[in-house]
Amino acid sequence: MSKKTIISRPYKKAFKLKVLAKKKENIRRKLVVTAKKLSLKAKQLAVIAKEKESVRRKLVVTDKNLKFKAKQLALTDENLEQIKAKDEAIISSIGDGLMVIDKNSNIVLVNKAFEKILGWKIKEVQGKSLFKIVPTVDSAGKNIAESKRLVTKTLKEHTTTTAIVSYLRKDRSLLPVVLTVSPIIVKGNFIGAVEVFRDVTKEKEIDKAKTEFVSLASHQLRTPLTTVSWYSEMLLAGDVGKLTPDQNKYLEEIYKGNKRMIALVNTLLNVSRLELGTSLVEPEPTDIIALAKNVVVEQKLKIEEKKLIITQKFSTAVPIFSADPKLLRMVFQNLLTNAINYTPEGGKITIEIALSAERSKILIKISDTGYGIPENQQDKIFTKLFRADNVRDKDTEGTGLGLYIVKSIIEDSKGKIWFESEENKGTTFFITLPLKGMKKNKGTKNLS
Amino acid sequence: MKYMINETTKGKTVLVIEDEQPLLNVIKTKLEKNSFVVTTARTILQALNYLKKAGSVDAIWLDHYLLGKEDGLDFVTELKSHEGQWKKIPIFVISNTASPDNIKSYIRLGISKYFVKNEYQLDNIVAEIKSFLENLKE
Repeated sequence: MSKKTIISRPYKKAFKLKVLAKKKENIRRKLVVTAKKLSLKAKQLAVIAKEKESVRRKLVVTDKNLKFKAKQLALTDENLEQIKAKDEAIISSIGDGLMVIDKNSNIVLVNKAFEKILGWKIKEVQGKSLFKIVPTVDSAGKNIAESKRLVTKTLKEHTTTTAIVSYLRKDRSLLPVVLTVSPIIVKGNFIGAVEVFRDVTKEKEIDKAKTEFVSLASHQLRTPLTTVSWYSEMLLAGDVGKLTPDQNKYLEEIYKGNKRMIALVNTLLNVSRLELGTSLVEPEPTDIIALAKNVVVEQKLKIEEKKLIITQKFSTAVPIFSADPKLLRMVFQNLLTNAINYTPEGGKITIEIALSAERSKILIKISDTGYGIPENQQDKIFTKLFRADNVRDKDTEGTGLGLYIVKSIIEDSKGKIWFESEENKGTTFFITLPLKGMKKNKGTKNLS
Repeated sequence: MKYMINETTKGKTVLVIEDEQPLLNVIKTKLEKNSFVVTTARTILQALNYLKKAGSVDAIWLDHYLLGKEDGLDFVTELKSHEGQWKKIPIFVISNTASPDNIKSYIRLGISKYFVKNEYQLDNIVAEIKSFLENLKE
């Protein structure tokens, strides 16, 4: 055996053990590192686990919220359904006919009343042109052209208007209606129009009945008055024998009383017609100054009898304007005869007609130096049958209806009337009338 | 009252159509005092029958509302569409009640004049009828 061999075996073993120990140490160190890394990872996982748990909890809450919201939406949906159903029920059950059209005048929606009144079913009219489905006819029976219909005006100008026309039903029968067309504007955008109409057959019949009543009352009241009038006339003329002076006197009173009655019946009939809205207004180009002058001439006799001084101030700027001359004449006649009757002998009456400063109105002024209206009775002067105390004795003939009629005529013409008065000093009546004139009224009776 | 006998209207025939008897009487009396020869009728039927028998009259005094179904307008329509002399007879409508539409229709049909009874004395109506007929002659 060599030295090498004797030394190396235990040395080699020790060396190997050292190496092993080092390796173990390394491994041990690596294990420590790994253990540390694992510990770190474990910590990290713990954090992630916590986060997951937190997220899981949040999801649970969110889930609860979503379920709650879903419930709410379901309720809202139900509500909306109900509201929709209610709205539909409301539109459906509106007693008046209703149709909604789009910008091109095609029918979008109609209600039950429309179906019932006109005879069409919703399915038959949806999407179709309003003009074809519901033609309109005027009071003379002529078809109203598309361009003249209210609907066209609303579609163009976005305004609301009302009119009375007749519709043609599905079966081509006529139906008088009053209709209103209004624009539909959503968030500032014009999207269509709504036409609502009502069957006025009943109203028309009532109107006709009223007119016939006034006509009949007129006839029944006037005929006996004519009899008394003409028979008195014959007696007074001596046609059936000579009368004694006393008989003559008594008959004169009968005749005068009868004349007052005739005037009263006429006036009452005018009032009836004005109130029932059946009086005819027929505007035509009218020279108001010529008319006023003419009324003054008519009263010439009475003016001269009472030695009254009449001054007429008529501006040349007043143009011919649209008015019903019959009604205007009544206004002048009433105011002038009042001035004449209620002014003592030798008094002054002034009539003025001029144009307003803005040239949009006609101004009329009639003043007198007469008995005036007592202050405590001034508020009643335009009421029916009212006559102020201070004139009732002096003049038994007034009906108390003249000013009521005048006021009605002026106000129907969109004008104004008022007065200033002082007892025993005089009265002035003021009237303004719009220059654009009186509106035509398709009434059925003339005021007499 | 002194009645002047007017040569041109003396003996002229008038048909008065009026439903109120008292008015009919007083109108007849007044017209006769003015030398007219008067026939009366209270319905359109009576009036037409008389015209058929008499052939014609010089003037007709017509009320609007009458007894029976037809009224003054029906009568005037009938006369104005007649082929013979009836078309030319001057018709005076004297009524208390015809509505403005009716008045327009009367005028369009060609009546000579319309009077509202209550607004005229009997004398004045008769005087106007007289002067109308006198002017016709000329």
